[in-house]
Amino acid sequence: MEMAATMQGAPRAERRGRDVFADLVAPHLDGLYGYCVRLANRVPDAEDLLQETLVRGLRSHGRLRDADRMRPWLFTIATNVWRDRQRTRGREEAATVSLDDPQAEGDFSLFSTVVTEDPFPYSDELHLDFLRLFHDEDVRAVFGAVSPVYRLPLILTTIHGFSCKEAAAILKVPLGTVLSRLHRGRRQLEAGLWDYAVKNALVKVSDDAD
Amino acid sequence: MTLIDCREAVARMWGYLSQGLAKRDVKELETHLEFCERCCGELEFSRQLRARVAEAGTDQMPMPLRQRINDLLAGDARAGEAK
Repeated sequence: MEMAATMQGAPRAERRGRDVFADLVAPHLDGLYGYCVRLANRVPDAEDLLQETLVRGLRSHGRLRDADRMRPWLFTIATNVWRDRQRTRGREEAATVSLDDPQAEGDFSLFSTVVTEDPFPYSDELHLDFLRLFHDEDVRAVFGAVSPVYRLPLILTTIHGFSCKEAAAILKVPLGTVLSRLHRGRRQLEAGLWDYAVKNALVKVSDDAD
Repeated sequence: MTLIDCREAVARMWGYLSQGLAKRDVKELETHLEFCERCCGELEFSRQLRARVAEAGTDQMPMPLRQRINDLLAGDARAGEAK
C-alpha cells in the first residue's frame, strides 16, 4: 500500500518539499493573512491573495537559502502578488502619485488638533480618550483609506513590527523613501481619524473650526 | 550636531519608532525631546496610536480558509481553485 501511494502520488521529493514548506510557513500564516487583509481591504480578495502567495512560495521556496528569512520572504511575495493584481486591474499605484506632493496633507497634527479643540475638557488623558472613541472597525475603515503607497510601509512597521530597513527590502524601495512615506501615511491616517470623528459626531468641535 | 525644530522632530518620529533613523538623526531627535515637552507628548501619542492601529489591524484567519490552506499545503491540487 505504501508502495502504491508512492507510485501514484506526487514524487517523493516533491512531497517532501511540500511538507518542509508547510512546516516553515505554519508559524507565519496568521500574520501573512492579516497582511493580505490590510493590503486588499476586502476579505475575499485577501483570501485569493494569500492562496496565490502560498502557491508561488511553494513553487520557489527551494531557492530560499536561509529559513530564518522565511517571514520577510513571504511578505515580499505577498507584496509582489498584490502589485501584479493592481497592475492588471489598471489601478496602478500611479493613481496616488499626486499625493506625493509634500503639501498634500498639509501640516495637520492630530496631537495638536486634539489639544486645540479640547473635546474632553475634564480629561487628563485627552489623547487616549480621543483614541477610545474609535471601535476597531472605525480604525480599520480610516486606515484602509490611506493611499496604498503610504499604507504598505505603515502595515509592515506598525502592525507587523518590521523595521524600516526590513520594510524597505520587502517593498524594494530605498530606506529614505520608507521614512518619508511613513510620515506621509501617518499624516493621512491622523487627518482621516479627525475627519471621521467630526463627520460621525464622535467629537463636538467649535463652530469656527470649519 | 544640528538642532532640529518641532516640525523636523515630528517628521522623524514614526521612523524613530521603527528603528529607521541613522544614529546622528536619533541623537538630534533625542536632544530635541530633552527640552521639548510638546514633542514628548506627541511621541507618546504616536506610540498609543500605533498600538491602537496594530490592535485593530490584526486579523484572525477564518476556519474555512485555514482548512483550504491546509489542503493546499498538503498537496491537494484542487484546493487552490475551491471557493
